[in-house]
Amino acid sequence: MAQDKVMVCVSPSPYSRKLLRHGHEMAAGLRSEWIAVYVDSSHKAMKYGKEKQKELERNLRLAEELGAEVISVTGERIAEELLAAARERNVKHLVIGKPSRSRLSEWLPRTIVEQVIRSSDGINVYVIPGIAEKTSPKREGKPYRTPGNWRPYAAITALIAILTMVLRPFGLTFEPVNIALIYLFPVLLSAVYWGIRPAFYAAGLGVLAFDFFFIPPFLSFTVADLRYLVSFGVYLSVAGLTASLAARLKQQLEYSKQREAHTASLYALSRQISAITDIHSLLDNVSCQISQTVGAPIAMYLPDEKNRLVLTHASTKLTEWEQSREEIVMADMAYEQGETVGRSTDTLREFPGCFMPLKTEERIYGVLAVKLAHGTEAFSAEQQRLLEALSGLAASAMARVKLAEEAKLAHLTAESERLRSAILDSVSHELRTPLATIIGSVTGLIEGERLFSSEDRMELLATIRDGALRMNRLVMNLLGMVQLESGMLRLQKRWCDVEDIIGVTLSQVKDYQQHRELSVHLTGPLPLILGDEILLEQVLVNVVSNSIKYSPDHSKIVLSANPKQDVLVISVSDQGIGIAESEQDRVFSKFYRSETSMHVPGTGLGLAICKGIVELHGGTISAKPNGTQGTVISITLPLPEQASLHTMPQEKEM
Amino acid sequence: MAAQESGARILIVDDEPQIRKLLKVTLQAHQYEIYEAASGEEGVLQASLVHPDLIVLDLGLPGIPGMEVLSRIRDWSATPVIVLTAKDREEDKIAALDSGADDYVTKPFSMGELVARIRVALRHAAKSVNEPVLLFGELSIDLAQRIVELRGERIKLTPTEYELLKILASHAGKVVTQRQLLQQVWGSHHSETDSHYLRVYIGHLRKKLGEDSTRPKYLVTEPGIGYRFQARD
Repeated sequence: MAQDKVMVCVSPSPYSRKLLRHGHEMAAGLRSEWIAVYVDSSHKAMKYGKEKQKELERNLRLAEELGAEVISVTGERIAEELLAAARERNVKHLVIGKPSRSRLSEWLPRTIVEQVIRSSDGINVYVIPGIAEKTSPKREGKPYRTPGNWRPYAAITALIAILTMVLRPFGLTFEPVNIALIYLFPVLLSAVYWGIRPAFYAAGLGVLAFDFFFIPPFLSFTVADLRYLVSFGVYLSVAGLTASLAARLKQQLEYSKQREAHTASLYALSRQISAITDIHSLLDNVSCQISQTVGAPIAMYLPDEKNRLVLTHASTKLTEWEQSREEIVMADMAYEQGETVGRSTDTLREFPGCFMPLKTEERIYGVLAVKLAHGTEAFSAEQQRLLEALSGLAASAMARVKLAEEAKLAHLTAESERLRSAILDSVSHELRTPLATIIGSVTGLIEGERLFSSEDRMELLATIRDGALRMNRLVMNLLGMVQLESGMLRLQKRWCDVEDIIGVTLSQVKDYQQHRELSVHLTGPLPLILGDEILLEQVLVNVVSNSIKYSPDHSKIVLSANPKQDVLVISVSDQGIGIAESEQDRVFSKFYRSETSMHVPGTGLGLAICKGIVELHGGTISAKPNGTQGTVISITLPLPEQASLHTMPQEKEM
Repeated sequence: MAAQESGARILIVDDEPQIRKLLKVTLQAHQYEIYEAASGEEGVLQASLVHPDLIVLDLGLPGIPGMEVLSRIRDWSATPVIVLTAKDREEDKIAALDSGADDYVTKPFSMGELVARIRVALRHAAKSVNEPVLLFGELSIDLAQRIVELRGERIKLTPTEYELLKILASHAGKVVTQRQLLQQVWGSHHSETDSHYLRVYIGHLRKKLGEDSTRPKYLVTEPGIGYRFQARD
């Protein structure tokens, strides 16, 4: 079953390779996923020297290559943490090594093995005896000690010397136990500041000083009263315990500081990522952030339209990234294989850069390259994991932006699809209906020439004329819309007299207003406006035609025009079917037809064209109810500064 | 008289056979004699061969464009020309009118409109002597004495107003472009502000003629083109 996961415990030991291969085979046999776990306790990290750390990293890389998910457990109670991690991930098989006893340093892990076995109910534990693989590297080096760290010891020696000198004069009045307690002080101090070894040194030196100066016989290491040996023992164990506790505390502090820094950088990045929607500024940010975190210049390669990788972002100047062929090839390799190549990997590990694919589960979005100077160390496991986390974040951010773009595109496509079908519906309906009446009437007239009275004939001819006029209006509207949409429509701005425009409008609609009463209300002489006379006339004709179309015969339609501050307001009010409040904005969008007006022929273009034209003039158009019945369409047009005109020359009348 | 109102010879220059056929049938029904040309070249040739009394010219011709045909005809002939244009080609209309076309009709047009334009153009061409007094129903304009009367009462006009009225009325029924008006009233040095004045003067003139500016009786606006003095037959 796929849930029966396998977990392998990895240590810096070369035996771990054997465990990993074993775990890999096991997982393959079970057809399940497998996990490599390593103990990342401060306790151990301190114990691992540089060499061991490298070994551990090598082992972990092997685990990744073999397809394992690599996780770490931290904490003091390693066995419990291991089992908790295993249970959390549904692990049924745990593979653990059994080191040889000869190594003193691996005493503790043996007890771990035993602890694991003891509390492993429900999990099969496989203990593999420790036999090193042939490829095992050289023996573990000397215990971790950096050169030049003699200073803590000198300081401790001095401190104890001063302490002894201070205590000496009145030391004998004190109980020796109190003095022993005072000697614990340098131990604590050195544990906190310099770690465990100086602390032990302080403890040893302290016990010697105590014995030499304060235990009779004085100034001798011999101890008269053997009970003091017990005191020494207690002192040493207390000192040892305090020292190791304090040192561990310090270690954990540093470790958590480092963790915090990583978390902070991840947090900062994720916060930036979620705030940015533009992919390029996002990647600029990401590359800076990653570069700061890993302390090396980085660059990003993204595929172009032809799916070829191009260097698009870099934390430093692009020129610093020698755009060599090699780098492109490396990036391509990472992109195509979906795996990290270059430094600290097994592919081209000598190359001075590390190329990680920016991938999510579905696809690879690009390649992140980290440049390392020749001779610098490869990344630590910690850095490697951080880099992976950061590139994962970057990839998911890119995925998010890409998905948002795709969603937008899909929305646009759907919208244009909707529009297209609206156009088709509208045009085919609006063309076919008049065509049907025309063809019907004409064929009737041709075929049955003598059947019709002259009145009938006139009626059929009038039908033909109306059908043709309707088609003409449709074509005009479509052309107008296309011109508006394509931005081809250029305003021929001239001085226009609104009264004139109203006059032309009235003469245009005269033929089909029937008995509707059209009246004009003007408040005094109107100022001239700057605009395109023909287009403004088209607006007014469209609006007034609508009023006629949607209002009953014998009703009143009022055109009025008033200057208001810096605009001219032209309004057309009717007593027609009105516009619902929810539709007051939508009636101006193209191909929108109100449900209530479906019985009246129309394309849904007229008001959209009006809106386009009025907005080109810098004005507004809006619809409101006309009291209880009907609609008022208000058009505002900006009034030019009349002061810019010369005053009219005064003339005498003849 | 060279041209009678009926029986006049009309040359139709249009590349669309449908339009030519329509015009031929309807204009023949109005007793005109029709000649056809399907291209600009043929139009120019026909114009010199048949000496028509009036030419109906489509501006949207293939080959040599309508404007070119117009100017070639105008090189040697004052025959009235009515141009046919599409609605959205305002610039073409103005250009044609300014370079000598007598009037325009926008496609699609009603036959009544076209026949009325043809009549007006033929009448103007026939008028060889300027009549001293123009009479339009209740309005009379005495060109010799510069007196304008409405219903027998004298109307006081400023010199510019009078000039405008005179130009429009003496081309009664024909469209006069803004540029033509500006040029004839203000001379060739007219400026952009003058077109503003033109609007104002027309407004004043309408008021003095007792017109409702939104329903003018005499001075009709041709949007984007100019004005037309409405002659009532």
